[in-house]
Amino acid sequence: MIDIIKHSIRFVLFLIAQAFIFNQLEIGLGIQLMVYPLYIFLLPLEMNVFLLMLVSFGLGFGIDLFSNTYGLHASSALIIAYGRPYLIKLFEPRDGFDPGTELTIYSMGYAWFGYVFGTFLLAHTMWFFFIEQFKWSEFWYVVLKTVLGVPLSLLLCVLLQFLFFKKPIKR
Amino acid sequence: MRNLIAFFRRFRIFLFFAFLQGIALTTYFNYLAYPRSQYLTTASAVSGQMLEYHNDITKHFQLAFNNRKLQYENTLLRKRLANSFVRIDQHSVLINDTLNDQQYEYIPAVVINSTVNKRNNYFTLNSGWRRGIKRGMGVFSPNGIVGIIHNVSEHYSVVKSVLTEDINIDVMVESTGIPGLLKWNGMNAKIGSIASISNDLPVKKWSKIVTRGGSGIFPRGLTVGKIKDFKMVEGKPLWDVSIYYSEDYRKLQNVYVIKNLLLNEQKKIESSIPDDIEEPEGL
Repeated sequence: MIDIIKHSIRFVLFLIAQAFIFNQLEIGLGIQLMVYPLYIFLLPLEMNVFLLMLVSFGLGFGIDLFSNTYGLHASSALIIAYGRPYLIKLFEPRDGFDPGTELTIYSMGYAWFGYVFGTFLLAHTMWFFFIEQFKWSEFWYVVLKTVLGVPLSLLLCVLLQFLFFKKPIKR
Repeated sequence: MRNLIAFFRRFRIFLFFAFLQGIALTTYFNYLAYPRSQYLTTASAVSGQMLEYHNDITKHFQLAFNNRKLQYENTLLRKRLANSFVRIDQHSVLINDTLNDQQYEYIPAVVINSTVNKRNNYFTLNSGWRRGIKRGMGVFSPNGIVGIIHNVSEHYSVVKSVLTEDINIDVMVESTGIPGLLKWNGMNAKIGSIASISNDLPVKKWSKIVTRGGSGIFPRGLTVGKIKDFKMVEGKPLWDVSIYYSEDYRKLQNVYVIKNLLLNEQKKIESSIPDDIEEPEGL
């Protein structure tokens, strides 16, 4: 129950942060900062895939409403929500996850988080720019935008966790 | 039948995914093609209201600069007042151009949401059909043209800006009158391009680009930008001209929407042209 409330509040906060802060920043070179993949990444591991996809779709669509992109964010959010179980299975630690683990940088370590969330972001950003551009002739431009944008978004998501997430007490 | 059910059970996650993905992509591409659905845009009431709050906070960030710009424009308008070219009523400004017998009405508006780094950028204005804005009207700012109204609701409207791929505004080189079509290649918000200028026509660097006024959306002679450089298009007898926009769209705030009072008359007389002579659009 606590979990549901926590994730609902986070949903609203991430939506506002993405739509009103990070979508408004113009860094140049076509870079766009993405923070809402972090929300999708941090949803509980035990969550039903259907619900996961629905929530991600809703989040993406909410962001679309405020940034005149009409389904672009929804589509990219959906892609990573669909891919998340496979990705996590691929990078699962040898003895599995403890029940109730949240995949934050604290519980999973820098290296693991960097790898897995980096891949996650790469898939998201790549898909986002490809659908937005939708032309093979601009392939290298899309790749450039992705390569420039992903490290920045990754850094931002790590910083957000350092700033706003409580460090769990060591047992 | 059993196999079919087994198939659905096996792929139910993928099917659900494909279903939602279908909805998202259909909305996206549909909107790009036909701007019908107001509910999904910032022109809808809820998100429009939220953006208004957002703008209330951020509009003061460049107050000094915007004030100077407005002041400059006011002095320009005052100059015209002396010649009694301008009548001012409560909401809008009328300019009677006695030589061309054309009338344009300007509706002031404020940009409350904008992007410049997407492939197709749309701006949201804080005025809608209540103030007489209609789809297809032109929008400009004191420094240059901004775009064409794409979608209107009661209190808000969405502008398809010149930072979109197929904006296709009629422009010309001011000194020589060579016509072309405005495009944007998606790379840089300061640089646009002009298609369909034939390469046997002389083009000069730094010459000024203005609107041509052919389609009745913009009056003739609004500033667009300056020619940055030009090169040959491979395999076609055309120049590939790139221009610097005169307006910096990253800090755009105050704009005017153009209402052409004689548009219907122009449309009517142009519809009498037989169909087989078509405008060479896009080339």
